[in-house]
Amino acid sequence: MTPTGAHATTGTPATRRLGLVVCVLLVLLVLSGLWWSAEDVVQGSTVRIMYVHVPSIWVAYMAFALTAVCSGAYLSRGTRSVAWDRVAGASAEIGVLFVAVSLVTGSLWGRLTWGTYWVWDARLTSTAFLFITYVGYLAVRRLGGTLRQRARRSAVLALLAVLEIPLVHFSVELWRSLHQEASVANPNAKVEMDGLMLFTLMLGLATFTALFVWLVLHRQRVILLEDTVADRGLDEAIASRRDEAGAR
Amino acid sequence: MLIVAVALVAGGVVVTKFLTSAIDYYCNVDEVGVRRGCDGDRRIRVQGIVRRDSLEKQDGSTVFTLEWNTKTLEVSYLGDPGGVFQECIPVVAHGRLVGEGFDSDRIEVKHTNEYVEKNETRFDQANNEAAACSVSQE
Repeated sequence: MTPTGAHATTGTPATRRLGLVVCVLLVLLVLSGLWWSAEDVVQGSTVRIMYVHVPSIWVAYMAFALTAVCSGAYLSRGTRSVAWDRVAGASAEIGVLFVAVSLVTGSLWGRLTWGTYWVWDARLTSTAFLFITYVGYLAVRRLGGTLRQRARRSAVLALLAVLEIPLVHFSVELWRSLHQEASVANPNAKVEMDGLMLFTLMLGLATFTALFVWLVLHRQRVILLEDTVADRGLDEAIASRRDEAGAR
Repeated sequence: MLIVAVALVAGGVVVTKFLTSAIDYYCNVDEVGVRRGCDGDRRIRVQGIVRRDSLEKQDGSTVFTLEWNTKTLEVSYLGDPGGVFQECIPVVAHGRLVGEGFDSDRIEVKHTNEYVEKNETRFDQANNEAAACSVSQE
């Protein structure tokens, strides 16, 4: 496939419709998060940070899980296509972006509620480690070599790195942490959140999930175009060397 | 290669900080001087709930009683704790035992995972105040 004509774009009618849905959901989330939902009895308006913070880490978990699934698919004999690696790479990039958003919003929320931007407790430390691990994964993807070499080494790393996710999520249950326990996805299956706050949080999860799908679709196509350009450059270099050899 | 090296170093720093910061972030009030790692002769972090009607401001200091499982600890902090510090809320105090009290130089508020809309409190404030001080002590 070459990046020419109609294939040079990363959009399709379906992704454009999805993009429109994401925009509408984002507007609804802003309205619900900033105006429709009430303040919290203890935290006041600070609680509104939750509607970005929690969906961000949810998307990061989902992104890294997708990276692992695609990596596993690449390493399987029956489905060894570099297309899996492109989706894995695209998903990991977006996951790193959303972990960063989660760390920044969590830090701001912490300053306003805990009274400090950062503590080295189990949840915050393991999340920082998750972020660094996937930055490392992205760095490994850029080490060079053929597409298949890139795909193989990054797939192995992705399957190891994804094991950190349960450690991060359950760190507040396993160890004593300043960070509160999960409000929704907790082992007790007990949700202690009033109606419209819970609705806004769920809306945030749906919105960020749709945004993630839209971003992955576009990003993996950009990676395809980058790989195609790199292949073309390699083909031209080989042809040039052959011409040189023929001229001697 | 440079980015991989930087990521490895950063990962090492994070793990080291975590291990030196203690895997369990705090000791509960009833564990001070009892549990290993919660010894009274060194700098520790103590978690408990700020007892109702115990909060006082004295000459620029904040004085209050931390409570956990019927055990109490008198805490003195120079200044005004930040965050949503108030009575009936769990906090982590950093500092040292001095006599029978605890001299703290850092207070962190450990809010719970319960979220209650503010407008509901207008109808039954008394109930909410009672609930706010009934944080599970497990």
